[in-house]
Amino acid sequence: MFKARTALPKIALAAIAISLFSIHPVQASSKLPTRIISLSPSATEILYAIGSGKQVIAVDDLSNYPSEAPITKLSAFNPNVEALLNYKPDLIILNADATKALEVKAALEKLKVKVFLESAPSSPREAYLEIAALGRATGKLSGAQKVISEMKSKISAAIKSGKTTKKITFFHELDNTLYTATSDTFIGKVYKDFNLVNIADPAAKADSAGYPQLQSEYVIKSNPKIIFLADAQYGESLATLSKRAGWNGISAIKNKNVVALPEDIPSRWGPRLVDFYEFIATAISKVK
Amino acid sequence: MKNLKSKGDESVLAPIWNWKITAFSAALLFFIGILAISFGPVSLGFQEILRTLFGLPGGLTGQDRTLLLDLRLPRALLAALVGAALATSGAVYQTVFRNPLADPYLLGAAAGAGLGATIALTSAGADLYSLLPIFSFFGAISAVLVSFFISGKFFAEPNSLLLSGIAVGSFATAVQTYLQQRNSSSLRPVYSWILGELTVANWQVVTWSSIYILIALTILFTVSKQLDGLMLTDEEAYSLGINPNKLRVIAVVAATLATATAVSASGLIGFVGIVVPHLVRGITHRVTNRGLLTIALVGASFLVLADLGARTLLSPAELPIGVITAFVGAPFFLVVLRKKRLVSQ
Repeated sequence: MFKARTALPKIALAAIAISLFSIHPVQASSKLPTRIISLSPSATEILYAIGSGKQVIAVDDLSNYPSEAPITKLSAFNPNVEALLNYKPDLIILNADATKALEVKAALEKLKVKVFLESAPSSPREAYLEIAALGRATGKLSGAQKVISEMKSKISAAIKSGKTTKKITFFHELDNTLYTATSDTFIGKVYKDFNLVNIADPAAKADSAGYPQLQSEYVIKSNPKIIFLADAQYGESLATLSKRAGWNGISAIKNKNVVALPEDIPSRWGPRLVDFYEFIATAISKVK
Repeated sequence: MKNLKSKGDESVLAPIWNWKITAFSAALLFFIGILAISFGPVSLGFQEILRTLFGLPGGLTGQDRTLLLDLRLPRALLAALVGAALATSGAVYQTVFRNPLADPYLLGAAAGAGLGATIALTSAGADLYSLLPIFSFFGAISAVLVSFFISGKFFAEPNSLLLSGIAVGSFATAVQTYLQQRNSSSLRPVYSWILGELTVANWQVVTWSSIYILIALTILFTVSKQLDGLMLTDEEAYSLGINPNKLRVIAVVAATLATATAVSASGLIGFVGIVVPHLVRGITHRVTNRGLLTIALVGASFLVLADLGARTLLSPAELPIGVITAFVGAPFFLVVLRKKRLVSQ
């Protein structure tokens, strides 16, 4: 009984697999993609913003925005070629930092599925380039250009309102063991656009990727005026910070300029980057 | 044992343990401790530091005082406690299992603690994050307990316990890896915890970890003389009035308590448990467990020194301390091993 029942889906799967092999060579080369899988939360946000949302058939388990995106259990971090093929995709957005990204890409291309390999941009400028590239790949270039110019104007407005000539120091806390981001990182460049002074920069040589771990003593000595908490979702707050030994003397804590960053937004380079710029601008205006 | 040696023997045979070495190690630890708290990203006057420590007038004030007393001092003390715990447990495990490669993480303590920490870090809510030390503590203890129960007749055969410890450890690591893969955002915190860190040291951590570690170490120092009996066959141990099975249970339970506390306070700091006991035994040419206190003191010095490196090499950034202990420890260990082999030839 059981064997007979489980055999059917297997046969169906085999049929699908065979049909995949036979259909794709024609489809992949010229036509615009109609069955896109996004394995990147940022790319998902971008696709929906530029008008390719209708072509998206599945997104990875962390693509929680926008709400209409068809979220699945697919892992962007550890992509599974067979699980992806089940959706009969014609374009897969794959992050270059995924486990064995290049091998997965090769395997998918061998099966005639197009792959768009995106890597995390190192600056807002690169983010625009990536949005444009996604527009080109999905046939929505004009939509992409519209999103980019809107982002650019809103971001420059935010910078204008928040930019400061005063020397305002800040500490961007990634976790309670004091990992942080220097001005070399994407997020560091956002802060730099506002002329903020990053206390992590003297430690830049400690990590080539720009994410060193600072010493508590050093943070206290640097006396930042603002502290941005990327770990607020893990329970850190003004209250927990002021309990740390020696921290209650830090200017940001004395003047209650400890800012809980919204979840996800600081780590995505899609259209919501605007929200992040506006958020920082508001935080600075409170200090000025 | 006293009645075994007559006065005549003592003049011919070297004493079992030279307590001057222990006194020297204690002095060494003291000086390394002072050295360690004198360095950091903020430069503090050495005289002022000493004055503050000994409560003399003219010491540090304000923020500098907080830096010294609430940041550097608890961190150095935690490093010393963890170093002593790991080195002593390592030496005891090596005796109990009659295996020079045994280390405190052998019975699944490390993997269990890692699993506990990962559960705390991958839990959806913010609530468990602050409970990480408790999770890793119970993770370590439960892994060792499970190893005990699986191996069945506890200590009739130390090797079977060792094997079940390895199996339990692999199992816990598998579950941990699964959880990490399902929560890729936790990868970095888990990774940095595994490399070991003393960055979170504060008086609260020092207080609770010192209670457990000191209890465990006192038990081990108390039975240190009898532990030598475990190096003999069980029959010989019995004839000396030692119950080897009971002693092994006491020793492993105490060593596990010390290890679990150390791990939950500072993550997985490797190599201390192997390097330090061999270093002390190699230099003194003594295998006796009467050297246990010395091993504890040297372990403490070793970790305080390693932490000084972790804080200063990339200053103002940190280097995970586990990197230093292995980087310095491994070559050092090879030198001692080679010297020891030359001597025995």
